[in-house]
Amino acid sequence: MKHSAAVDSLRRGRSRERLLKGLLGIASMSLALTYAVALAHLVLRGGAKLFSFTSYAYPLSDIEGEGLMRAVVAACLLGAVAWGASSIVRALLERTYGSSRRVDTVSQFFVASVAILGALLLRDRLPRFLVSFPSETTAGGGVGPEIFNTIYFAVLSTAVTLPVGVGAAVYLARFARSARFVSALRTALDTLASLPSIVYGLFGFLVFVVEMKAGYSLFAGAFVLSLLNLPLVVGITEESLRAVPRELEDASLALGATQVETVRHITLPYAWPGILSALVLSIGRVFAESAPLIMTAGTTVSRTNAYSLSPFRGGETLAVHLWYVNSSGLSPDKADVSAGTAAVLIALIALTNMLAARLALYGGALGSRLTKATR
Amino acid sequence: MQQVLVQPQEDTLQRRVRLAPRSRWPDVLVRLFVKACGGFVLLTTILLIGFLARTGLAGMGEVGIWSLLFGPRWKPESQLYGGLPLILGTFVSALGAAAMGATPAVLAAVWLTEFAPKPLRGFYRRLMEIAAAIPSVVYGWLALTHLVPVMGAFAHAIYGDDSNVGGEGLASSAVLLSVMIAPTVLLLSVDALSRVPYNLREASAALGASPWQTGFRVVMPYAWRGLLVAVFFGFARAAGETMAVQMVIGGARVIPANLFRPTTTISSQIVMDMQNARPGTPADDALFSMALILLIVSIAVVLVTRMLSRPVRA
Repeated sequence: MKHSAAVDSLRRGRSRERLLKGLLGIASMSLALTYAVALAHLVLRGGAKLFSFTSYAYPLSDIEGEGLMRAVVAACLLGAVAWGASSIVRALLERTYGSSRRVDTVSQFFVASVAILGALLLRDRLPRFLVSFPSETTAGGGVGPEIFNTIYFAVLSTAVTLPVGVGAAVYLARFARSARFVSALRTALDTLASLPSIVYGLFGFLVFVVEMKAGYSLFAGAFVLSLLNLPLVVGITEESLRAVPRELEDASLALGATQVETVRHITLPYAWPGILSALVLSIGRVFAESAPLIMTAGTTVSRTNAYSLSPFRGGETLAVHLWYVNSSGLSPDKADVSAGTAAVLIALIALTNMLAARLALYGGALGSRLTKATR
Repeated sequence: MQQVLVQPQEDTLQRRVRLAPRSRWPDVLVRLFVKACGGFVLLTTILLIGFLARTGLAGMGEVGIWSLLFGPRWKPESQLYGGLPLILGTFVSALGAAAMGATPAVLAAVWLTEFAPKPLRGFYRRLMEIAAAIPSVVYGWLALTHLVPVMGAFAHAIYGDDSNVGGEGLASSAVLLSVMIAPTVLLLSVDALSRVPYNLREASAALGASPWQTGFRVVMPYAWRGLLVAVFFGFARAAGETMAVQMVIGGARVIPANLFRPTTTISSQIVMDMQNARPGTPADDALFSMALILLIVSIAVVLVTRMLSRPVRA
């Protein structure tokens, strides 16, 4: 890039090109501005809905697990605030005193205690929108079960995607023997990657609802979502497995480790940040996807088992709720509910990304230590 | 989402790894497990295609492929299974989105890699990454509340007080899809453009070309495969998009007289009809046939993309 200044100075005179360049720049910036405005609108409008809450002291209903859910939401809310505050304070302290282990411990203790305190104190004074049930015809519905379902979906589908995706990637990157099997597997992954999400939904519908007569269930939805994510996870994981330096694996083998031991103790830890980023992308898709879930997990929330951990019940996620409210909801505060739902959804996606950045730091430590050792 | 499509070659490491001792029993188990994972992926893909093809072909047999492809009206209640409105809706809105969304995205990508001030680049990229991560339902909701009224006013300005025209229709869905795919296309195009070797830019400048000429006559032609892959990818995403389109397209199952009348697409019709579907009926099987058509088209698009993105051997 160091040459571009010299190149520029040669051609200052061409006014027409400068004009075109300026126009292109303005057009590109206005494109970006559109998205920035849309994002700001989402955050402000949804935030207004979230914080215009009326506190209420009594439980909304005697639903199983409702109290626990509220405690967890309160703990997360206050914990996140405490985390932000403590990381600012820690950064300031590190600037003046240098980093110390004690500051780390104290700040972790602080975050944990504030979270527990929040769970105890704030449990009954939460924004109503975050914990109450959706309402079909009257104003004032919330998204409590939807938040729970969205996160539960992420956990369930990761439970399938992580072992299968990483296993298949390890096979492709390190253990593959039969060329025919490998090329068949690659074709399969490419096909899966190309399918529109609605096709996955139809497949889930055929298998779980029609053939197995199991009705709408979280399990079916999570299975379909993990299928949807497999090509992504396998692709990124394989790429990061292939990027592991050869000398490390050679050294491990030379020390007498078997191939599997080498993969387990050297290759996988080294590739951990890549695997993690694949998982985060896939969780983002779980949060965002709605079409396959409508056909496999349904669009309703049952009052009796809204917070049950059983994967064999139906339930909608935030994204499905946002669609459902707008396409067939009758409540008068549709617009407010949609804004709040969108804001919660985006906050969840942002939070996942932040957490992953943190996890990548911890997991990547081994990788950097290995590099240092071999240098 | 692009994957590495290179066939793995046996290198020295793998040969050495193969010679490594492998007598301990966990090794056998782990080997079996990773192979089983590969087998699982393969098996589910075959099952997926098989299930859809079985039901979809049954539907084609019951209804007739001619009607599914060219019939003018979709009305399962009275045994009318004309798929043309659905197919037209899908293709017109996806093509419109590719034209309206991909052109600015590719141009902005050129601006970003060639002309933009450096401090701006990282920020711009970050913003577009966030925009690409916003769920499509959220885009759909934004379009429903903000785009549809504007398009409605626009339609009435063109067609006068015709009560049949309004904001819901192909025009709205094409604009919505173009807004949705632009960040993805832009990010993929930036990747393609930044893969162009810097030597080429220097050589072009040394021959006396201005940055503008270098950008549009050297860098863009060199990266055309990558740019085309980005546009195709955007098209495929637009054609497969379901919920957002369903919110703004109106849902009338006829061929619209103009771009501002309600119509439908394959995927949104599937979502609407599946909510009260009775498995095994011709109406249901015909839906699966439409899904099969969508599946075949998207696989074809990906095959073309793969052919284009295969590295050129110099």
